Amino acid sequence: MITLTHFLIVSACLFCIGLYAVLAKRNAILILIGIEFMINAAILNLVAFGRYDKLVYGGQIFALFAIVLAAAAVAVGLAIILNVYQHYKSINPDDITDLRD
Amino acid sequence: MNGLMNISPITSSIIITLLPLLAFIIQALLGKRTQSGFISLIAIVISTILSAFFVFTKIWMNTPQMVDYNWFTIGHHTFTAGILLNNLTALMQLLVCIIALAVHVYSKSYMKGDPGIHRYWMYLSLFCFAMLGLCISKNLLIMYIFWELVGFASYLLIGFWFTKDSAVQANKKAFIVNRIGDLGFLLGLATLYSLYGSLDLTELFALDGLFYNLPNQPTGLLTFSGICFFIGAMAKSAQFPLHVWLPDAMEGPTAVSSLIHAATMVAAGVFLLSSIFPLFNASVLLIITIIGTMTALSAACFALSQRDIKKILAFSTISQLGFMVVAIGIGAWDAGMFHLITHAFFKCLLFLGAGAVIHEMSHLKEINQLDFDPQDINNMGNLRKWMPKTFILMAVASLALAGFPLTSGFLSKDAILIATLEWGIQHGSFYLLVPITLIIVSILTSFYISRLMFKVFFGEFKLTVKKFKLQEASAIMLWPMLFLGIGCLFLLFSWNPLSYQSASIFKGLIVSYQFSEIHALHMLLPVGLTIGSLIAGSVAWNWYIRNKYPLNPQGNKWIEFTFNQGYINEFYSVIFVNGTILFSKGLFWFDRTIIDGLVRFVGEVTKGLASLSSWFDRIIVDGLINKVGSTTYYIGHLLRWAQNGRLQNYLGFAFTLVLIGIIYLILQ
Repeated sequence: MITLTHFLIVSACLFCIGLYAVLAKRNAILILIGIEFMINAAILNLVAFGRYDKLVYGGQIFALFAIVLAAAAVAVGLAIILNVYQHYKSINPDDITDLRD
Repeated sequence: MNGLMNISPITSSIIITLLPLLAFIIQALLGKRTQSGFISLIAIVISTILSAFFVFTKIWMNTPQMVDYNWFTIGHHTFTAGILLNNLTALMQLLVCIIALAVHVYSKSYMKGDPGIHRYWMYLSLFCFAMLGLCISKNLLIMYIFWELVGFASYLLIGFWFTKDSAVQANKKAFIVNRIGDLGFLLGLATLYSLYGSLDLTELFALDGLFYNLPNQPTGLLTFSGICFFIGAMAKSAQFPLHVWLPDAMEGPTAVSSLIHAATMVAAGVFLLSSIFPLFNASVLLIITIIGTMTALSAACFALSQRDIKKILAFSTISQLGFMVVAIGIGAWDAGMFHLITHAFFKCLLFLGAGAVIHEMSHLKEINQLDFDPQDINNMGNLRKWMPKTFILMAVASLALAGFPLTSGFLSKDAILIATLEWGIQHGSFYLLVPITLIIVSILTSFYISRLMFKVFFGEFKLTVKKFKLQEASAIMLWPMLFLGIGCLFLLFSWNPLSYQSASIFKGLIVSYQFSEIHALHMLLPVGLTIGSLIAGSVAWNWYIRNKYPLNPQGNKWIEFTFNQGYINEFYSVIFVNGTILFSKGLFWFDRTIIDGLVRFVGEVTKGLASLSSWFDRIIVDGLINKVGSTTYYIGHLLRWAQNGRLQNYLGFAFTLVLIGIIYLILQ
């Protein structure tokens, strides 16, 4: 039988994959995808823990909000990437080191 | 007009002195634009007129006039710059003016076409200014200043042809020898000032002056100061052994030699001695007499064998200056001044005549493009045929120099010789050597001047040239010579041609002789001297005209000796010049080795200390600071790489920290 622990393990796996993508990928879009993975891991946790709130299904509701917010965030992120690309002619984060000292 | 005629003698004498200075300044400012010399000429003409009519006629035989201006004050002593006009100074100033005027006119023609003529007029005016100022100075310090200026102008004029090496050497020599004398003058001034606290001639030597009111002064210092002043006069008046500069000074233009080195500047020493005559005590006077006698004798001997016409005249000048100095030494300074004045006329004329001859000879040399010395009398001969006027004038001057009757030289020379003989007889024994020497010298004088005249104007012309062209000097040169020639006759000085005592100059300069008069001498000595001179002249005639020359000119030691001026120059060059060079070399060595060595040693030590301190500074002090700095830098560098601008790294750090935080919370 599938328990809460299985959900949490899948969610942790998703989070780790997302984290890896964010830290290691050389393409800004893949980093965005990594972020999406991590958001989804969190949403999965929300849904999984949502079974203990049978009254108002707060977890489910919050997950829906989070999905909407994630979509909005991705839209903003893509827009930033587009601008960055126009400015630097590259979306490799290693090339964009203007924050350096 | 009346106002013009009433210029006081003092004012006129100032104008007389300042006019040549003005001419000098104008010439100096105009430079090459003024070649004619009219400025100098006009200045000296006005000076001469003023001097003759506004100063001399008013002062001569009248009361002396003087004026003082405060010059500067040191402590309680005020120095005055004053003008003293008495018989002596007025006469001297007039003499300088007249001779300078003659030389200026002569130079107009003689120096014509010289490329440096603008400098010539400039220097000549400077000289006149200095000499005229010297004559009327009341204060010895002012006189000293003019004395130096005179020496400086003489230096400039001797070296007038400064491209000639010999002229440069000669003016250097004249300057250096004169410096020795100037040092004497200065020491004399200092001594006098320390004794009496004044350098004013009137304050010192007037009848109620300090000199007579403070009688108890140390004799030693008085003698010292007298000798010092005499050394000053010795250098200026070319007395043995400081006479060496005068023969060499003949490198200057002949007109200059005539004005400066025959008539005026060299007489300044005699004038100085006359001005401060009361200062000299018996021992100084004896020294003066001895030096004067030695000068007269040695210079006359050297004149015997010179070949250069100007050098003969130069030695003759020295010899005659010796006469004047002897006259001062025996106390008859009026006779000395008288001889100074007559000598100025005839010696100036002799030089101007020699100048005319040299002028023609160098002209002959130029048109034939030959190489001979135009001043060598052995190259001349029979010139009276082409230059009769010059010959006559020079003959008059020569007779005056030899002391023949009816000339001025007769009067002045007899004045000196008779006074000297009286002095010698009064003192007896060795003192008689002085008059005897002077008599011999005066006979030698007539011999060497006869030699000069015979060799130049008689006999055969010695050179054979293709283009022969000799002519009389130009009128501009002859007029001043004629004027001086008249001055060589007795008329200017005395109405009685045979007795010097009736000369007006002796009435103006009142001197009480310290010896008794011997009347017989006044008759005998002139006659004897004239006969002696005639014999000397006829010997010269026999030797040089009739070719009965008894001596072998080659290899005769005496001729060599006198021709080389007694080897005095060589002696000086060995002892003083080489001595000075050796001494300077020694000093140079000392400077190089000891002084420089010391300095260098100190330098080396300082350098060592400095490098030690620099090492300490570099290694220890700087090292410490640098180590602190570099450590900080290294640490900073270590942390710096974290700030590399990569978003992913930052995120990684942030996540790692969060992870560490979580692990910490778990383990807690």
